[in-house]
Amino acid sequence: MARHLVGRILQTLLSMLVVISIVFVLTRMSGNPIQLLLDVNATERDQQILTHYLGLDQPMPVQYAIYVKNIFLGDFGKSILTRRPVVEHIWERLPATAELGLVAMAMSVLIGVPLGMYSAVHRGTALDTGARIFAVLGQSMPAFWLGLMLILLFGVVLGVLPAGGRGGALNLILPAFTLGYFTSAAILRLTRSAMLEVLGSDYIKFARLKGLSEQVVLWKHGLKNALLPVVTFAVMLFVQFLGGAVVTETVFAWPGLGRLILESITTRDYPIVQAGVLVLSALYLTGNLCVDVLYSYLNPRIRHARA
Amino acid sequence: MRVRSWIGASITMVLLSTITAAVPVAAAPEGTLTVAVATFGNERWLPHLYVGAEDIVLKPLWENLLNRDAKGNLIPMLAERWQALDGGRTWKFHLRKGVKFHNGTELTAEDVRYTFTQIAREGSANALSNEMRLIKSMEVEDPYTIAIHFEKPFVTFGNRVTSGLFGSTGYIQSKKHLEAGEEAAERRPIGTGPWKFVEHLRGDRIVYEAVDRHWRATPNYKRLVFLKVPEPATRMAMLRAGSVDVIEAGGEYVDELKKVGMRLLTMPNTSAIWVILGGQWAGRPSYDPKVPWAQPDAERARKVRLALNLAVDKKAIFDRVLGGVGSPLGTVNAYPTDPWMPEALLKPIPYDPAKAKALLAEAGYPNGFDVTMNLTAWPGRGYLPDVGEAVATYWEKIGLRVKRRPVDRAVFAADFRARSYAGVALAYAGPIIGPEPWELFVRISHSKAAVHLLFEHPKLDAFVDRLGVEPSAAARTKIMREEMEPWLHEYMPAVTIGATHSIAGVGPKVGDWPLIPGHLGLHNWEYVTRK
Repeated sequence: MARHLVGRILQTLLSMLVVISIVFVLTRMSGNPIQLLLDVNATERDQQILTHYLGLDQPMPVQYAIYVKNIFLGDFGKSILTRRPVVEHIWERLPATAELGLVAMAMSVLIGVPLGMYSAVHRGTALDTGARIFAVLGQSMPAFWLGLMLILLFGVVLGVLPAGGRGGALNLILPAFTLGYFTSAAILRLTRSAMLEVLGSDYIKFARLKGLSEQVVLWKHGLKNALLPVVTFAVMLFVQFLGGAVVTETVFAWPGLGRLILESITTRDYPIVQAGVLVLSALYLTGNLCVDVLYSYLNPRIRHARA
Repeated sequence: MRVRSWIGASITMVLLSTITAAVPVAAAPEGTLTVAVATFGNERWLPHLYVGAEDIVLKPLWENLLNRDAKGNLIPMLAERWQALDGGRTWKFHLRKGVKFHNGTELTAEDVRYTFTQIAREGSANALSNEMRLIKSMEVEDPYTIAIHFEKPFVTFGNRVTSGLFGSTGYIQSKKHLEAGEEAAERRPIGTGPWKFVEHLRGDRIVYEAVDRHWRATPNYKRLVFLKVPEPATRMAMLRAGSVDVIEAGGEYVDELKKVGMRLLTMPNTSAIWVILGGQWAGRPSYDPKVPWAQPDAERARKVRLALNLAVDKKAIFDRVLGGVGSPLGTVNAYPTDPWMPEALLKPIPYDPAKAKALLAEAGYPNGFDVTMNLTAWPGRGYLPDVGEAVATYWEKIGLRVKRRPVDRAVFAADFRARSYAGVALAYAGPIIGPEPWELFVRISHSKAAVHLLFEHPKLDAFVDRLGVEPSAAARTKIMREEMEPWLHEYMPAVTIGATHSIAGVGPKVGDWPLIPGHLGLHNWEYVTRK
């Protein structure tokens, strides 16, 4: 187990180095930030001075070496635009993103798991059909359209929820639902199929033959086993929410990390893009690692196979 | 001086004049004015780092030496009077006494000298850096008087230090505050404006608070909050839901704003739209004689340019793309109310595709030619790619083969600096950075300009150079009306679309709002009244 863990950690570190390198090259291919930092009438001399100040006149391999060395020293650099430490910018936005991601994930799980389970247990009924329609709609409706419709309905027509921006708990409901609906539909489908598989297994039949109550069979023996893939999926979803909620963040004017990275891409603020992607990939890879380890721990067959 | 038609009632204009005469508003500020704008995020607070594109959200904090009134005349702001001496070689500003920065220190001529020096310093990003570098010396005669000397006459320097124009980035900052540490000053900026800094979350919000008993205008609202809401439909919904009080809107929302009973605020004639025909820079290494509209045969080249103009229905572009806000015109970088613009030149070039096709054939292109149309958006002018797309479609109707190329402004910036986009067209909107058209030409269409966004011609250089040293406004108007504008109209360097307005949606809480004509973007927050 320990050997497996060390191997996975090394794999994770290697993956991060690859991510760092790809992001470094891609950001430099996207254009020169100097053009955006100066007025259109700036002279050649002004451009040279700023290029030198930002270290962009160094050869690419030198810039890369400095960048990697600084990361290992915990220095993510300063924003090209604001000259403030990049870490400050990330920390400013991370709470908003984490808040939205957590609530969206909670919504996804709270909607998706019970509905998926109910749908599996009452397979073929009208409610099962309804749940499947809910799932198809959730997975086919684009987030920007759903978001705008929700704003129109709850913000403008009914006037019961804020139309956008970050504020109190009420501000969270619409963006979290928009973000969570797509994934709740996915969780619903995953729970349903996992439950169907579990409910048809021999140990469930045996549990019923033993005379256990249906509630115990479903909740203790059925759902517990069906939840394994759902838990994995939910953890990865949360990490994806942190960086991939940019459409929802844009529609609801939510000041999250996804929007910060997107805006930094448009302004060629390399250090923020690099640090933002690094943070997200680190979270993703760490989440993946945790799930992997957890999975091995929970499922003896996997643990033994790896051993 | 430019007189523009605008919708603000004359009452509000009188109000503005009265207020700018330093009469503070008596009522205590109350409530919050929340504004949703399309974009910001590049804002910087130090004078040498401030580019100018974030005008709307930064202007409340600061003030300039001068301002413009409802008729476009220069009026006092931090300077209570000023003189242009020696034919424009020396400008003397007499500062108002008792004006305080937000940290309580008094504004003096040293602050003016320090600010202008910072703007001019090497590597400066400020839009006025080139102009400030023309300063030969600055003399602080006493704490409230500064004389600024130039080598050559700078007859419109007053326009460079006014608050009421696009790119008016000469905000006077506190020397003491900046010298105490630039990093601290960038995090906690101060100015002399009617709003003081409270909070800044880059790309999300900027919060200001009213300055009590401000020397010029105590705001009616206690707080002013700018939110960045990039999605226009969300801005519209937020206005309708009452989450915000003011939104930036595009022409496509004019009808909807009216339909839902929101007030429409129009800032008329804020930018002139034209389609740049790249490559008109004969004599430079990147000049390409094969570009049809820039070829050495001047007569054939003009026929091509005229054909490209005749092929485009400008009125339809205004109606369908720009929401009907603005007016099609017949000459480049012009406005319907310009006193130097003869009536005949303002009439749009007619939509006549048959004649356009015939002219192309006469010029030697019976089967059209290949052209690239860059679709590039500029800050505050997000409609430009749509205008470019519409023009491309019209050109295809007369036989041109148009390749659309969406290009980011930052990427294209290198091209327009290097003049390396021969044969490429793109829609552009020139904002009013100075009331007189040559003040824009000198920056974007002069052979000595750092960038190229129209055309180059020795005759235009000569006009600009001559106007730049002519101290008499009347004489400049005469030169423009009788010589430069007729020549420009005849030469037809671009496809002229017309002059457009900026618009905003205003919610029910907001009262009167006096505006400065021609000022691109929302401003004068301190004069907005509550309902």
